[in-house]
Amino acid sequence: MSIARLWTVARLELLQRVRTVSWYVLLGIFAVLLIGVTALAFLAFGGIVSQADQRGAGIYSTIVIITLLLVVLVSPTLSGNSINGDRDAATLAPVQVTLARTSEILLGKVLAAWITGLAFAAVAAPFLVVATLAGGVDPVVVVVSLAVLIVEIGIIAAIGVGLSGLIARPLFSVAATYLVVSALVFGTLIAFGLGATAFSSEATTTYRPAMYNADGSPQCVDGADDCWNDPARMVCGAPQDSTYTVPRFDRVWWVLAANPFVILADATPAEYNGYGQPVDLFGQIASGVRQAQIPPDLATVYDECRPTMRDDVETPAEIRDRTVPSWFVGLGGQIVVAGLLVAGAWSRTRTPARALPPGTRIA
Amino acid sequence: MLTAGITVRDVRRSFGRVDAVRGVDLDARAGAVTGLVGPNGAGKTTLLLMLASLLQPDAGSIRIAGIDPVADPAQARARLGWMPDALGAWGSLTVRETLEMTARLYDLDKPAAARRAGELLDQVGLTGLAGSQARVLSRGQKQRLGLARALVHDPSVLLLDEPASGLDPQARVDLRGLLRGFAAAGKTVLISSHILSELEEVVDDAVFLLDGATVSPDRVAAAAGRTRTWRVRVADLEAQAAVLPIATALGLDVARVPIDRRDVLIPFASEAEAAAGLRVLIDAGVAVAEFSAATGMLEHTFLDLGSERKEAS
Repeated sequence: MSIARLWTVARLELLQRVRTVSWYVLLGIFAVLLIGVTALAFLAFGGIVSQADQRGAGIYSTIVIITLLLVVLVSPTLSGNSINGDRDAATLAPVQVTLARTSEILLGKVLAAWITGLAFAAVAAPFLVVATLAGGVDPVVVVVSLAVLIVEIGIIAAIGVGLSGLIARPLFSVAATYLVVSALVFGTLIAFGLGATAFSSEATTTYRPAMYNADGSPQCVDGADDCWNDPARMVCGAPQDSTYTVPRFDRVWWVLAANPFVILADATPAEYNGYGQPVDLFGQIASGVRQAQIPPDLATVYDECRPTMRDDVETPAEIRDRTVPSWFVGLGGQIVVAGLLVAGAWSRTRTPARALPPGTRIA
Repeated sequence: MLTAGITVRDVRRSFGRVDAVRGVDLDARAGAVTGLVGPNGAGKTTLLLMLASLLQPDAGSIRIAGIDPVADPAQARARLGWMPDALGAWGSLTVRETLEMTARLYDLDKPAAARRAGELLDQVGLTGLAGSQARVLSRGQKQRLGLARALVHDPSVLLLDEPASGLDPQARVDLRGLLRGFAAAGKTVLISSHILSELEEVVDDAVFLLDGATVSPDRVAAAAGRTRTWRVRVADLEAQAAVLPIATALGLDVARVPIDRRDVLIPFASEAEAAAGLRVLIDAGVAVAEFSAATGMLEHTFLDLGSERKEAS
């Protein structure tokens, strides 16, 4: 493995990209979108978050998530045809015939696609700084969220390059890259929702009402009329059972672990305000996912004659403390998938070629 | 036979059910230019891809400067320069950058790559276009860039697929000079082309490829030995007027001697017979201004092999 050759392959790719006008147009559109998002985020979090010094966290997390969203939307077109597009343009074979090894060519292309995606993150940088200036952004949150963002961009780049090496036609490999990325972003959500409903459980609620007089006052066991605040003396009716189905999110929550946005949110350390509520979008997404891990109560009882003080509702902070993080599983899974795709592309692109994908020529 | 050239023994390669190359034996000497001649679809490009270490043969052995490109592609690539028939250029890179980048892929360091690019630009006559983007080049200029790219690492074996297509006459003369120079420097040059007259002037040896297989030397010799046509032109006489004295002198039936524009076409079985015929014409007082084989040796052999194949099928 020669770093010089790998970097030359990446440079070849990048030089061609930076010399196209459309590339700058794309970055410009991205910047305009971010201006809008930042402005809206300032207005939104300015209204919601009462403490002025905590508004920055929400704005910051919004910009990071929007950046990831846009990279997810754009990246497949940038990396999804890097191998087969070159083959179509007859520029792959002239590289293969040099001393550059197949691994250097593939990793060079992954690197180039990665750097291309990071250019979007670079455009987002000034907006992140502005958000940070609004206050309340923990440096640890910045470091971790940006690290996850960078890794996610790299994974999408690798998926695109891998599929472009496995699939002969650029159009189909770009589409396939979109499908894989969509499966991670939207497919996990759909599987989560449908799965939870499909594996739902029967839950029972038992309700024992107190008996009331015509004037609305409770009937008391001793015929008195002063048992308003004394349930022990009330006359109780027959308990009524009713059954209903509850979706079992706790059975499918792990599907969400593969979602890039969940990984980003779950990996980032959560910041809470004084009421245990998350201060940024990362925390809100993460607490939703963590909440899903908790099994529903399948036998609930509402007894008007034996009212129990309802347990304190758990705050997101408490839920997070007693549930398990999943981001590393999801991230690991994504890295394995991307790695397998690149490895498959390697064996298909290797020269001297034994078998050629149908309908392709080497040069 | 020098071992340092290209040696191919019984190489086969099929794509699915199509047998692109069905049995090629080929020797290209170092220090010589070898032509690879064959009709479209004969398997020339497939063979060159295998020689260039890009495609693996199904069977048979290949040696490039003594190295097996299947077993050790890196070593083979260090020694071979390949110029594809369809040159894919990195459109937005300049001519100079294209060469520098290629040099970097051959492990030249930056200063060496820049130096080498300069030399090559000069060698193929692209110095004036060094700063132009590859996409604005004409076809001929792209061909020259492709040739320069194949030469970046000063390979000892050159594989050129249709290098002359798209070149103007001056560039062809230059290319011929370059190729003869490589041969003189002891390199092996294998060149495929359709332009047989062009090939004729530059090759030392020729290998004929028909339906994916090399034509045996005996068949080539037989085809080459068959009757060829000579063009005869008489000074200041139209062909219609010249045909009678020529036919009379050679004892031919004047009605069966063909005419092509200003030339009279006469078949001779061999070069010796042609020489004898010329002597007869001059002795008979015919003012012969031009006397030349109508087709080059390669073209003649090529066409003859082709017609043989048509008869067979």
